[in-house]
Amino acid sequence: MPLAHGEKLSTYRIEKLPNSHLLKVLGFRKGTQFTIQSKQPFKGPIVVKVGNRSIAIDYDIASEILVEEVAHN
Amino acid sequence: MSCHGAALQEKPSNDKMKILLMGNPNVGKSVVFSKLTGVHVDSSNYAGTTVDYTVGDINFGSKQGVLIDVPGTYSLEATNEAEKVAVSLLEEGADAVICVLDATHLERNLGLAFELKEYPIPVVYCLNLMDVAERHGIKIDAEKLSEELGSPVIPTIAIKNKGLRELMEMVVKLSKEEKEPEPRLDEQERWERIQEIVSRVQTKIDKKELTFIEKLEDWTVQPWPGIPIALLVLIASLGVVVGGGKALRAVVLLPLVKQVIVPFLTKIVSLIVPAGILRNVLVGEFGILVIGIEWPFALILPYVFLFYVVFSFLEDSGYLPRIGVLADGVLRRIGIQGGNIIPMMLGYGCAVPAILGTRAASTHKERIMVASLVSFAIPCASQSGAFFALLGDRSIFALIFVYLLSILAILAVGLVLNKIIPGRSQPLLLEVPNLLLPDKDAYKKKLKLRMKHFMMDAEGAMFFGIIIAAIIAETGVLNEFSKLLGPFVEGWLGLPREASLSLLLGIIRRELAVLPLLEMNLNTLQLTVGAIVALFYLPCLSVFGVLTKEFSLKTALFIGAITIVSAFFFGGLFNQIGSLIIGVMG
Repeated sequence: MPLAHGEKLSTYRIEKLPNSHLLKVLGFRKGTQFTIQSKQPFKGPIVVKVGNRSIAIDYDIASEILVEEVAHN
Repeated sequence: MSCHGAALQEKPSNDKMKILLMGNPNVGKSVVFSKLTGVHVDSSNYAGTTVDYTVGDINFGSKQGVLIDVPGTYSLEATNEAEKVAVSLLEEGADAVICVLDATHLERNLGLAFELKEYPIPVVYCLNLMDVAERHGIKIDAEKLSEELGSPVIPTIAIKNKGLRELMEMVVKLSKEEKEPEPRLDEQERWERIQEIVSRVQTKIDKKELTFIEKLEDWTVQPWPGIPIALLVLIASLGVVVGGGKALRAVVLLPLVKQVIVPFLTKIVSLIVPAGILRNVLVGEFGILVIGIEWPFALILPYVFLFYVVFSFLEDSGYLPRIGVLADGVLRRIGIQGGNIIPMMLGYGCAVPAILGTRAASTHKERIMVASLVSFAIPCASQSGAFFALLGDRSIFALIFVYLLSILAILAVGLVLNKIIPGRSQPLLLEVPNLLLPDKDAYKKKLKLRMKHFMMDAEGAMFFGIIIAAIIAETGVLNEFSKLLGPFVEGWLGLPREASLSLLLGIIRRELAVLPLLEMNLNTLQLTVGAIVALFYLPCLSVFGVLTKEFSLKTALFIGAITIVSAFFFGGLFNQIGSLIIGVMG
């Protein structure tokens, strides 16, 4: 499922992600786990929490990141 | 990239150290920088790039040197301008590198830490934010980490000055040593090695209870209550700038200027210069020494100063990127990503740093869009100061109207530009920094730098404009000019002929398009028309210069022409409609 369709407060694990340098250095790799912290209206960014840092991901990029649900809110 | 700023060109002599300060973004690097450096701090542009860096002097015991605050980077792969600059600075060589690590995100920070080992420069790791890590339930064994990295690791809480002495002692000690570069690890190897190290040196206790700051951090990235919080913050900021500025002006600056400084100068000039044109140019109604002191210092300076007080505070607290996240959905409709709201907000201070700030935007389209929006519809603090002076006492509704018009114009111009400028915007992908109370030293240094640049960039141009104004007004040239523009100014804009002076001066500094109106005894409709014209009018000469420098003369001329045409069109339109309504009602 694309990350963009994820739900607030649910936890996901990355299965597949676009090859982006910035995503990698921000700590996103295959297998990275995170929780969705907030979603914005008008297809705004999705804020996810990796460890205790929040990262905002553009909606289109979030549509290209495929995730598996680990825990439902 | 062999050329660079003057501060770096001095070859470090034997006893003068050159230290690079590096680290990921948002790890408290600038706080470390301000704590370690003295009073001589300046920022400059790394030639051939769009990246600025800061250099400061350091004195530690008998050792002297310079500390270079390298732009924050996540890696050294030279995939963006900041990383390219970081790599160039490393390749130029230094006596030591201080690499700031965020103790709350060790894993991610170690990527850069490892890449630094590939350079022949000794590295001291500054394990910062130890207090925050502890609050998060994270413990790191600095000694073990130092063994794993093969270089000293000093735990610090920079904001409380803890550990910085030990850090500098280590830097001085290491700067004398040679260091063999280590072989490069490939990505996968490095990643595995980092995981291994983290599992050895870090222990983490899960804690359930959130502190207030953590709750606030969460709220400010949620649409609810994040958007109401953002509005409150903006209104409060405006209150501080407008209210505080007004108070400063009325209580301190105006009396000082009008009752002490100007009478004093007038007296001296009257003693030396005989009555006539020259005396008028100097101390007449529009005299250089009268207006030249009153306008910049009593009318404009308090607003600009308070704007930077508020903006720098919001910036250092880590709050601004949160507004970017909240605004992204709407800004994307006009073709730019949320992060651009920061240079746009800076535009309410001064368009020059705002346009320079667009360098952080990664695509040309975004840069040119933000620069145009700032030039077109965002009033700078000087201009706002003039608006407040002009409309604040007369009609608060007219004042609010002008600002609503500014926001409407931003959206409308954005929609149009998005259609006509080719290209696309870079999608938002950013780390939202922790919220924190800004460090006093770092904040003061930033404020000082900003005011210094304002004084150099703006006050000079304004004074120049005032000299021209004084000559035009006091020598009678204005009358000729008024005759020429008169029919247009009177007929279409509904302003008195003398307002031509404003239009002429507005070219030099935008607020000068407003300030002469203050002396003209206008009605509210006329004042509002004047404010509308000034809002859209050609950005000042410095903005024109910076547009030419950053883009091209063609772009600058294009933005200049469009702004002037719309200023007259909308100002006149408002006057015609307004007169019609007043006519019908009267």
